[in-house]
Amino acid sequence: MFLIRRQSAPHLLSSMLLAGLVLGSLLLTACSRGEFSGLETLPVGDYVQKPDNFLGNTYQLTVQIDSQIVWEEGVGRILAVLADGSSSRVPVFVPDGIEQNLHVGQRYRMRVNIRQGGLIYVENLRKF
Amino acid sequence: MWKIYASSSLSLLLAAGLTWAQGGLPTGPSPAGSQGAQAGFSAPAGGVFESNTFLEMSNRIFDPTSDSMDFENGSFDWKGKKFNITEQRAFRARFERFLLASPSQEEEQYAALMEDILNRLSVSNNNDDDAILDTWQLLFRATDFAIDGGNSTIVANQVFNAWRVRKESRGVALSQKELADIRKYQQDVVANRTRMADQLRLQRMRDAGKKGSEDAAAADSGALAPLSEASFRVLDLAETEARILALEAEAASTGIQAKLQFQSQIVSFLMQRRFEHALVLSGFYQWLFKGSHQRLEVGRSQLEQLLPGSDLNYTVDSMSFLAREAINDVESGVDAVNAAYREGRTILALERLQEVFFLGEYLTQLNRIPTGQRRHLLDLYRGLMEASDLAESKDYSGLAELVEKIAGLAEDFPKTRALAGIETAKSMSDMAVFAASQYRNLGQIEQAREELRQAIDIWPSNPAIREFQMETTKLATAGSQGLKIFDDLYQRNERRAIYERRMELGFALSDDNERRPLLMEVVDQVARIELLVKQSQELVKQGEAYAAWELLIEAARIDRSDGPLNQARAELAPRVSDFVRQLDQADSLAESGQHAAALAAYLAAQDVYPASKTCRVGIAREAADLMRGLQPVEAGMPDN
Repeated sequence: MFLIRRQSAPHLLSSMLLAGLVLGSLLLTACSRGEFSGLETLPVGDYVQKPDNFLGNTYQLTVQIDSQIVWEEGVGRILAVLADGSSSRVPVFVPDGIEQNLHVGQRYRMRVNIRQGGLIYVENLRKF
Repeated sequence: MWKIYASSSLSLLLAAGLTWAQGGLPTGPSPAGSQGAQAGFSAPAGGVFESNTFLEMSNRIFDPTSDSMDFENGSFDWKGKKFNITEQRAFRARFERFLLASPSQEEEQYAALMEDILNRLSVSNNNDDDAILDTWQLLFRATDFAIDGGNSTIVANQVFNAWRVRKESRGVALSQKELADIRKYQQDVVANRTRMADQLRLQRMRDAGKKGSEDAAAADSGALAPLSEASFRVLDLAETEARILALEAEAASTGIQAKLQFQSQIVSFLMQRRFEHALVLSGFYQWLFKGSHQRLEVGRSQLEQLLPGSDLNYTVDSMSFLAREAINDVESGVDAVNAAYREGRTILALERLQEVFFLGEYLTQLNRIPTGQRRHLLDLYRGLMEASDLAESKDYSGLAELVEKIAGLAEDFPKTRALAGIETAKSMSDMAVFAASQYRNLGQIEQAREELRQAIDIWPSNPAIREFQMETTKLATAGSQGLKIFDDLYQRNERRAIYERRMELGFALSDDNERRPLLMEVVDQVARIELLVKQSQELVKQGEAYAAWELLIEAARIDRSDGPLNQARAELAPRVSDFVRQLDQADSLAESGQHAAALAAYLAAQDVYPASKTCRVGIAREAADLMRGLQPVEAGMPDN
């Protein structure tokens, strides 16, 4: 009986450690996708035809950077990106506050908000 | 080209305005005008283009006559021998008649007969008096043929004449013999009488010594009787001698005359290119006259003409050789013509045929040229002659059509060279008209007249000359109405209509400092639209529809209401509808200040036509506007 107790204690400890690791990784994953989870993907084709219909909405976009159209210090940059599932490029504005090195050809997941004049304003982005 | 045209029009308008402003209608050349003319266009002033250039070229191409024929001097050169060719028109008539004729059986029979006669006269054949007589009689058969032209009769008459002279010579020889006998008898009589007189004189001298001096006088008077008889006999002898000499002279004269007539006729046949008859007559001559009489003694001046620069002594044999050589040359010439024709060198065949025809016009060897070939060459000959006439009268349109036809008849005809020459002449005339119109617009009447004269000289029927004259008339009458017309059209924004009438309006407004700049502006704008539309049409032809549309967009920025421009846009729009839709949307959004959406539309349009200049400019413009709009907003917004 005493022997049985001495053998089950380490087993229980390792089981608890494993469970903790799994729980931790799940939490980390949940936290990392949390900014884009629950957001609809912007229907790029419809947006190009009628941008006014999307004003004020927030979407997620999975894109590849095609080119940088313009950059202005203290303001930000306008990129031409090609969204997944679309053949047309769209312009997105990345404010100066998002301090990331953005390169042509890189793929990003973005949280965007459609603002006045149809501006696709990037609120957050993550490279993947 | 359109750009040059547009800019030159403007410079001309400006120059015209300046010139007119200096003194109304100019009546002579002005320095300013000259400078403008030199700078604005390049006219063939000063007669750079020689109108004779085309004529020289056409003479080389369209003249079918051989180089050996010189119609100006009326001579045909054959191996250094010159024949009289008569005038070109007569030669053409005879040559065309030959090309129209067909070889006949009668001509074949004639050829066989002449060959037979020549063979009979050959030294290798039997040539006794009977054989010669038979040959002579054949001449009368030959003369029945039309192709002979009666020349065999001339030969026969010459031979007959020689025979008659020979017969007369025999009669003269008989008379001479009788007279010689009489002369001998008379000589004997005279000799006897003299001898007897001498003897009597000696006898009486001896007797006188005996009887005394009184009787001597009587003896002298008695001796006079036989001496007077001897004198009469001497006179008879002298008379007989004179008759003998006269008969000898007559015989020599008759023989020489016959020989000279023969020789003269041989030379005459050669000159007339009757080579077979020259040979026949030479053949008879050989048998009628001695070998020592072969040297030619007549026809030297004719021979000098036929064989210039030669001081040789000609014989009847050398005349025969010349005739034989000509016949052989015609034979080989016909072979050359037929060979060239077979190989498709039709122009060459025609040239050589003319030489052969002239030399062998009366020879049956020409019958070896088939009838079909003759007709074909006749068509070509007529075509070339007509082309030559058209070239001389400078009817280039008709000439170009004829060149095509001639090229169909002759593969070796230099069609490309001919057409290039025609086009060059036309272009030079057009350039001269263009220069004339520009000098006219500058008011330089003398230069304009000179250029117009040159244009007419190069191409009298140039349609541009007629247009120039009509335009000049119109300009002269439009001056007074120009102001009102321009105001009306300008108020209604009829820019295209102003452009169409720019020349007459330019004249009318040349001294109007207020309206002239407006006119120039309109002309400049519409000319640019015109240029862009033309370029667009060229691009459409090359399959560059999107690039063509871009040019129309550029033209529309100048004047969206231009009729020809809108017509071009309407025609092209269906082919580039995807691009047009995006661009229209981009423009519309940009106008309403939605720069981000406009930027998106431009990007979408650029995806359709990546090389689009409109999209590139639109993207740059909208991005800049967008950034400008974001600046104040971003400054006031908290960072997310």
